[in-house]
Amino acid sequence: MITQLNAELLKVRSTRTTLGLVVGMIGLTLLIVLLSGLLTHADALASTKNQLNLFSIGGIALIFSGLAGVLLITSEYRYGTIRATFLFTPRRWCVLWAKLTAGLLTGLVFGVAAVGLAFGIGSLILSARGIPSALNGGQITLLVVGGLTGIALRGAFGAGLGAIIRNQVAAVICLLAWDFVINALLFGLVPSVGRFMPTTAADALMGLKTPHLLPPAAGGAVLVGWTATLALAGLALTLRRDVA
Amino acid sequence: MAESLTKQFGSVLAVDDLSFALAPGTITGFLGPNGAGKTTTLRMLLGLVAPTSGRALVLGRPYADLDRPALSVGAVLEATDFHPGRSGRDHLRTLGRAVSLPDSRADEVLRTVELQKAGSRRVKGYSLGMRQRLGVAVALLGDPELLILDEPANGLDPEGVRWLRDFLRAFASEGRTVLVSSHVLAEVAQTVDQVLIINRGRLVVESSLQALTARVGGTVRVRTPQPDALQDALRREDLAATREDDTLYVHGADSERVGEIAFAAGIPVHELVAEGSSLEEVFLELTSQASA
Repeated sequence: MITQLNAELLKVRSTRTTLGLVVGMIGLTLLIVLLSGLLTHADALASTKNQLNLFSIGGIALIFSGLAGVLLITSEYRYGTIRATFLFTPRRWCVLWAKLTAGLLTGLVFGVAAVGLAFGIGSLILSARGIPSALNGGQITLLVVGGLTGIALRGAFGAGLGAIIRNQVAAVICLLAWDFVINALLFGLVPSVGRFMPTTAADALMGLKTPHLLPPAAGGAVLVGWTATLALAGLALTLRRDVA
Repeated sequence: MAESLTKQFGSVLAVDDLSFALAPGTITGFLGPNGAGKTTTLRMLLGLVAPTSGRALVLGRPYADLDRPALSVGAVLEATDFHPGRSGRDHLRTLGRAVSLPDSRADEVLRTVELQKAGSRRVKGYSLGMRQRLGVAVALLGDPELLILDEPANGLDPEGVRWLRDFLRAFASEGRTVLVSSHVLAEVAQTVDQVLIINRGRLVVESSLQALTARVGGTVRVRTPQPDALQDALRREDLAATREDDTLYVHGADSERVGEIAFAAGIPVHELVAEGSSLEEVFLELTSQASA
């Protein structure tokens, strides 16, 4: 199982896809932190809620780690390498386990980069503008630990989704539509249901003060639940389906 | 080997009650027209596709039950099964690591297939022939005793075909076994010892190449001023002949026999020629008969 994970991690590192996602993520994080840190009025930025929002911009990594997870599996089907993968490891559960774990670890790396960047640049901006920190140690810990956990889980979440929807384009569209359309609409229109959606649960896990969010622990549990559900469904399908 | 292997895709019966066994140390050609069920059969042997019924065994066990099967069975299924952005060497390493092979093994097989110089380049820049050879390198990674190749010569230039032929011969001469599929008999005729011919998912012929060559009866062309009379005479001897003006084409008999029948019937013969038919014609005949 460890050898398979070793193989999967080399797959992640040996193409430029992952690097491309990281570069895109860093660029976007930087852009949004700068815009919101420099353009928000100093009085507004002094509030706890807005400082939480500023530092939580690293949560953008949720999208990128989800994508990385999806690509981990769908690119194998797209390019046919899944055949060789299953020939070398016919125990497909072992391949899927390794991919979910690789998704988790990849997500963690993405999270460290994005959350670290948002914190670093965000703090610099605050101190440069002479705005005192309004966050206590507990809030910062939750933001960091909750953020990293959520972003890492999203890597495995994406891998589970990719195991269910093997077509790469369809899986990517499904992920983006889920996050940006279904999740956003449901939370906007029916927050009592929308707060159980994956990205809102991840926001809750970071301890954001957006109204209607679940408590952090409950958000974490919901995100774990989604990830486990997708992983198990993906596993069941992977074991059953023929590889044409 | 296959035991009553059957695969149904919806209403299509792709493989129908197929049974065969491979002899160790030989090269077996797995032949049939496109769509005959070759690829599906190979994928069932390798555990990628689940049979509807029957069993597919490799080295005596279902593929998935083998302990690290890549160390005993190597397969080349598609020439295009690579991530274009990954180097050939990294592709081999990812697979080798899954079965605990050292990374240096990737370089060894790259040398075997003469790709050592291209190993660090991304597959995107490989020619089709190079991709085929990288596929062979993947199959060789675990130093297997059985090699399964699906249409490996597709798209290869003559030099590549010769390389592959020499390579397979050398592989089998070490006492190892090869199963190679093709839809063109001529492509493998110089390589294989045994042939399995399937059509519409059913086994049509299982024999040695020698025996198949011996079946090449050929056609006798005979020109006569009395074609009707000769056709009748042949028919009395249970020989079928097709007529084209004053020429008859007789199947299933040699020229001596046709000459003697004409002589016995007192029919003059102006021309008598034995036309050898190629293996390819026999192959076409065998596969079209079964579908008729």
